[in-house]
Amino acid sequence: MGSYLSSLLGAPAADGSPESSSEPSRVQAFHSTPRWQLHFNKVKDTSQLMVIDFAASWCGPCRMMEPAVSAMASKFADVEFAKIDVDELSDVAREFSVQAMPTFVLVKKGKEVDRIVGAKKDELERKVQKHRALMASS
Amino acid sequence: MAASGFEGFEKRLELHFTGDEPAAVRMGLRRIDFESLERVLHEVQCTVVSAVGNAHLDAYVLSESSLFVYPTKIVIKTCGTTQLLKSVRPLVAHARDLGLTLCLCSFPEEVAYLEGCLPTNVCSRKASIMRSHMAASHSWHVFTACDPDLVMDKGPAPEDFYTVEMCMTELDRGQMTALTGIGEINPGALICDFAFDPCGYSMNGIDGDRYSTIHVTPEEGFSYASYECVGSVYDDGDDIARMLRKVAWVFRPGAMSVSVTSGSSQVWTRVANALEPLGLKRRSCATDQFPEAGTVVFQSFTARRV
Repeated sequence: MGSYLSSLLGAPAADGSPESSSEPSRVQAFHSTPRWQLHFNKVKDTSQLMVIDFAASWCGPCRMMEPAVSAMASKFADVEFAKIDVDELSDVAREFSVQAMPTFVLVKKGKEVDRIVGAKKDELERKVQKHRALMASS
Repeated sequence: MAASGFEGFEKRLELHFTGDEPAAVRMGLRRIDFESLERVLHEVQCTVVSAVGNAHLDAYVLSESSLFVYPTKIVIKTCGTTQLLKSVRPLVAHARDLGLTLCLCSFPEEVAYLEGCLPTNVCSRKASIMRSHMAASHSWHVFTACDPDLVMDKGPAPEDFYTVEMCMTELDRGQMTALTGIGEINPGALICDFAFDPCGYSMNGIDGDRYSTIHVTPEEGFSYASYECVGSVYDDGDDIARMLRKVAWVFRPGAMSVSVTSGSSQVWTRVANALEPLGLKRRSCATDQFPEAGTVVFQSFTARRV
C-alpha cells in the first residue's frame, strides 16, 4: 500500500483528522497494532457489532465518507466503530485483505460478517442496520 | 477527445499536470480536498454518487459521469448536460495550490484549457491541425473562437489585413550569428531588438499600424527562426514577395513553412512563386477555413541543396 507515502505528504496524518481532534467522535482511531489487537479481542468476547473503517489519509473517497461515518457512529451508539489507517497499520490492512479504500469490514465475535468497498454511504448504513438488528436478537 | 464538439453524447476530458516538488507530485491531485472537488463538480452540474480509491488513483462515480484522479492526471468522462469544460479552470487553480501546473503537452489539452476559459457567447470555435510534408512536429495547429453575434464596427475591416508567419529550420550556420540583412527586410519599420547571451535574437518592428517580429534560436542541431508580419490587401502585390525573399535570403533555411491567415485575400498564391527562385520548392499546401477568423493556407518548402 506504500507506507512511505503518508510521511512524504505533509498532509494531515490520520490522527490529525478533524474527527479525532476537534469533535468528540465515536469513531475510534488506532495507531498501533498491539492497541488494536487488544481492542479487537475485547469486542470479540461480546455480541457487539464492530465496523472497521480502513482508510488512507491521501485517499479522496475516504475523506468523502468521513462525515457520514461519524454521523453513523453517533446514530448507532450500540455499534462499535473503529478506524484504521492502512499506512500506519499496514499489517492489519493486509490481514483483512484491504485492496481499495475506503473498505468497511463488519465484524461480529471476531468474524467478518459483511464488507463494503468504496464510499457507499447508503449501502454501509443498510448493512449496519441489518447486522445491528441481528445483534439485538442474539 | 473531440476538440470542438459540444453536441456529442459523451465527452471526455483529460488533464495532465506536472510539478517540481517530488512530494507535490507523489500524491498530487489526490490531495485536493473533497469539498473542493464537490464544488468543482457542482460547477459542471454533477454530484458524486459513489467513490473508491486504491494506491494508484481515486475513482468517483458521478451523476451522468465518471471522474478519475491520479496524482498528476485527471480524467472526466461525461454524458448528457454536464458542462465538462467549466471544470478546467477551477481544477487548474486547485492544482496550482498544490504546486502543480497544467501540462499542456498536446494540442487537444491546450484546446480544452482554452475552451474552459472562454465565455459561452464565444461559441463559434474550431480547432484544426494542418499537416505538411514533414513530420507531425511540423504541423500547423490552429484554434479560433469568436462570438458570431458580435459586430465589429470599429477600425478597418479585418479582411483587409492578412498575417504571414514563416517558420524556418536548418538555418545557414554563418547567418545565424551574423544576422546580416535583417534590417533590410522592412527598412521603414521602427526596430526594437534584443540579442541574448550566449545566443538567440528577438526583434519587433512597427510600421504604422502593422507589426513584424523575428525570433532566432541558433543552437546547433535545432536551429530555428521565425518571421511574422502583417500585410494589407492594398499593398503592392510585389511587396509580400519581396519580403518573403528577403527573409529566406537572410536565414537560408533548409526547410520552412509559410502560413497565411487572411479574409479573402489570394496573397497566399504569391508565396510559392516568391520562394521558388531561391531554390525553395513547395512540398505541401493545406487550406482550412475558420469562422470569422478567415482562411489559413499552410505551405511547406524545402531547399534544393546543391
